[in-house]
Amino acid sequence: MKIGMIVLAGGIGKRIGRPFPKQFLLLGGKPLIVHVLEKARVIADIDRVVITCPDAHLDETRRLLANHGFDARFSCILGGGSRQESTYLGLAALADCGSVIIHEAVRPLVTVEEFRELIAAEDPNVMFGIPIPFTVLKGHDYVEDLLDRDELVNVQLPQKFDRAKLAAAHDAARRDDAFFTEDASLFYRYAGERVRILPGSERNIKITVPTDIVTAEAIYADVIGRGG
Amino acid sequence: MGKVCVITGASQGIGRAAAIRMSREPDVSALVLIARSAPGLEETAAAMERDGKEVELIPYDLGDLDGIPALVRGIHDRFGRIDILLNIAGYADPQSLLDTTTENIVTTYTINVFAMLVLIREAARYIADRPAKILNVASTAGITSRPGWLAYASSKAAVVSMSATLADELAGSGIKVYSISPGRTATELRRKLAPEEDLTRIMQPSQVADVIAQLMSDAETTLDGQNIVVRMRSQTGG
Repeated sequence: MKIGMIVLAGGIGKRIGRPFPKQFLLLGGKPLIVHVLEKARVIADIDRVVITCPDAHLDETRRLLANHGFDARFSCILGGGSRQESTYLGLAALADCGSVIIHEAVRPLVTVEEFRELIAAEDPNVMFGIPIPFTVLKGHDYVEDLLDRDELVNVQLPQKFDRAKLAAAHDAARRDDAFFTEDASLFYRYAGERVRILPGSERNIKITVPTDIVTAEAIYADVIGRGG
Repeated sequence: MGKVCVITGASQGIGRAAAIRMSREPDVSALVLIARSAPGLEETAAAMERDGKEVELIPYDLGDLDGIPALVRGIHDRFGRIDILLNIAGYADPQSLLDTTTENIVTTYTINVFAMLVLIREAARYIADRPAKILNVASTAGITSRPGWLAYASSKAAVVSMSATLADELAGSGIKVYSISPGRTATELRRKLAPEEDLTRIMQPSQVADVIAQLMSDAETTLDGQNIVVRMRSQTGG
């Protein structure tokens, strides 16, 4: 069965406070997205990698692919107006694949081992998750309810799904005009199948706010053995 | 197929010694030797222990920076991989500050720094999908004050800095970057620069080549990113 991979690279960098998209920020001297793609490159089981990006960043992303020596397995497509729309377009671009891995360009510290673990998992639909180490409550201006953090999980990427079933779930969500922030939620709601949760890693952080890149640099220094 | 090892400056000195030494490595199956001098490359090839290994000689002037991408692409097309890159080619024409011409500065930096950087950049495009090693030859001149050697010494300091930075930048890509700083070595260049010196009493190119071979072995995993001074214990001034 062919395995495809979608790398979501649609960010425009509003929250990071920089005038350029987060996926192009440097970590250890390399753009975040290159860290992700380099991991995929060494996994022969991944047949194709599709990067979804906004029109304004297509050329820059293609230039990165060429400069960093990524072969024809890697291609860029135009993403959608939302994360969900971009995933939908990525699924369509990987129609010949039975299984699809979804990752995002701004999680550069994912490891090759995590991708391999995902691929090797027997369940067709799998996500990584880590416990929530702090207290969470429901509410905005006032507390409205209590939540038991032991029942909750912090959702991480990468994730793996049966491509056809995830595509069908997306179709159903689109018909309902329902939007989700990631695909395990969408799949659980619309495919009605189990999603296996594998233990994730505290190191696999998402670069969202400026302090995240500081944290990521420290983790990366440790990863490459420059931690002191 | 075994490893493909590319060596610049292979027509003489440390480059030639490294080519001869690496030809004895059992896991190296092909050596690509680059230098300006075709006769020099032929002499090097004649001294190598080929033992079934492929040896390709490429006469090329690294002063032509624009041609380096095609040079590296050609090597990759020919052999399908690059596992070891030894940047040994160097240029020196030591002059005092006021005697140093702009041409001297540009040539020194072009060969010692810019060509090395472009070679690494191009090689890294092709060697990122498997573990690989790059070694850059700096000099003890790059880590101490060398009046009269301004262009050369500062260019070698750049090699030390470049190597440390690239070691970190490429670490996540599986490429280890090393730099060595040999002290006085009995090369043809040394004979020209210090004609009064007894070359039999200083470090021999083969000794530097032994260090290079050790660093390029799979067993060595801890010394990348550090400038390694290679100097005979009896040397005090090098």
